[in-house]
Amino acid sequence: MARFVLSRAVKAVLTVWIAITATFFLLRLLPGDPTTLMVEGDMTPEMQAALLKTYGLDRPLWEQYVSYLRELTQGNFGISFRQIQPVTDILVDRLPWTLLLAGTAFLVTIAIGIPIGVYAAVHRGRWPDKILQAAGIGGHALFVPSVAMLLLVYLGARLGWFPIGGAIDPDTRGLAAYASLAHHLVLPVASLVLVQLGPYALTLRTNMIEVLGEDYIRAARARGLSTRRRVWKHGLRNAILPALTLMGLQLGTLVGGAVLTETVFAYPGVGRLIFEAVGQRDYPVLQGAFIMLAVTVVVANTLTDLLYAVLNPRIRL
Amino acid sequence: MSAPVLTEQTVPPTEPQVGATRAAWRDWLRQPSALLSVAVLAVMVLLALFAPLIADEPGGTSADVLQPPSGAHWFGTDDLGQDIFAQVVWGTRTSLVIGVAASLIALVLGTAIGLVSAYVRGVDAVGTVITDVMLALPTLPLMIMLAAVVSPSVVTLTVIIGVFAWPEVARLIRSQGLVVTAMPYIDGARVLGASGWRIVSREILPAVVPLMVVSVLLTASRAVISEAGLSFLGLGDPDSWSWGRILLNAQRSGVVAIAWWQTLFPSLAILFLVLSATVAGMRFNDSRDPRRNGG
Repeated sequence: MARFVLSRAVKAVLTVWIAITATFFLLRLLPGDPTTLMVEGDMTPEMQAALLKTYGLDRPLWEQYVSYLRELTQGNFGISFRQIQPVTDILVDRLPWTLLLAGTAFLVTIAIGIPIGVYAAVHRGRWPDKILQAAGIGGHALFVPSVAMLLLVYLGARLGWFPIGGAIDPDTRGLAAYASLAHHLVLPVASLVLVQLGPYALTLRTNMIEVLGEDYIRAARARGLSTRRRVWKHGLRNAILPALTLMGLQLGTLVGGAVLTETVFAYPGVGRLIFEAVGQRDYPVLQGAFIMLAVTVVVANTLTDLLYAVLNPRIRL
Repeated sequence: MSAPVLTEQTVPPTEPQVGATRAAWRDWLRQPSALLSVAVLAVMVLLALFAPLIADEPGGTSADVLQPPSGAHWFGTDDLGQDIFAQVVWGTRTSLVIGVAASLIALVLGTAIGLVSAYVRGVDAVGTVITDVMLALPTLPLMIMLAAVVSPSVVTLTVIIGVFAWPEVARLIRSQGLVVTAMPYIDGARVLGASGWRIVSREILPAVVPLMVVSVLLTASRAVISEAGLSFLGLGDPDSWSWGRILLNAQRSGVVAIAWWQTLFPSLAILFLVLSATVAGMRFNDSRDPRRNGG
């Protein structure tokens, strides 16, 4: 088990390092080098040179890369072009909201997806199963902002059941603050869950049908175990493993969806920050936000892998 | 949003022959859902090709501000008085061009990397690591960052989307390529002294062509979603209409709650295009491998 954990950790660090390295060089080698944008056109050549020197942009690319990595390991993501504030401070303010949003959506999708998938598998070929198959395919065609705007207009603006933007009512205190937090979370989470749920439940259904045809399920039946016990205890435990891996692979998409959802609901997470930074062409913020999201996804993915190992004793051998 | 529609299959292809492929094409179009989705795709292509004949290119302002759908404006108008129907029709062009071109880039890169990985062990180790890394990263924030640096245009968006869409193709082609590589006729070709290039291009490639057809449809549908996402975040081509841009305009002008038509119609356009490409791809996959038909 220790070896497994170690190999996953090494893989995670390697992935993050490749992501950081690739973006560093891409950003500097692409046409429209962002670093030159900091230097305004009406400056004298001397002023430009002085500014470039202050930020270390006159040094060879390789040296810049090494010092960038050194700063990153100390948690320094550079200075925002527009807000004259360390990118790290901005990200630390925003990241918890994205984690809350994406994490809740992740758990809700699994919590609803499992019973739906199992039910459809057990009642294979009946109409709930057919609806799930259609929803599983249709889910791929849903565009997150479309779903988010639909919810915003009908459940938010028209019916007034939920707030149409923001993450919390700043005037609330104590228990009321938590209630407000949950209330603001409903629509953004629902947008992500609606898009993910169909394909996820469909995968679980397919796995479940396969598992229910296995010999050990038949053996369990021969031993007189109830259908409920066979399906929910023996079957689900095995069907859930591939579904877990799929969910881990989907984390990147989930985070991408969060960027779009946060934009629609003005939710103060990293996604909304990215939308604002795009408008201002604030590259250090964009780069920092990407690295932060990449780290989040890779860490969550590694945790999913470890959970897989815990649930699947075969991998620990 | 994009859980793999196709799981990696270890099912060997039936027979790498022209006859089998032709039968697969025929079976494909015989299914009502496949025929319907191909028809929707055909209508979209026609709209894109003949956009200038169908509607004037949207631009400028008019007095008909925020009109609901009517005989004069089928899909209503936006806060500048521009016709939404014209915007959607012209947006079809951008979505289709970027979707098709980006998926072709992804197809070429993905097939090359997937096939060589399947045949050459040394490449496989490196190729798998890169593919895994790319699949593990959040692609949308990465594309956003790059699109923000290069000035967004139809060409740069196509390249960015295409370059980040190949890993899925590579993974699919590689797993199929591994199965084909293990088949006796490949050993036969090697015994006859065929070069590595010849085996990959003449013996393995034809066996994965049906999978490439499926791949191109699914990748194109993902590319359309990516393009819509980037335009929605303000990273679309400022000179071309796009469905994502219509939604962004609705969001920016704050009319989302009033002008339902401005969000509904572009959303439906995305839904229909992506859904029909996905269904067409899946049905083609079913007819290529009859064992999956019962599914």
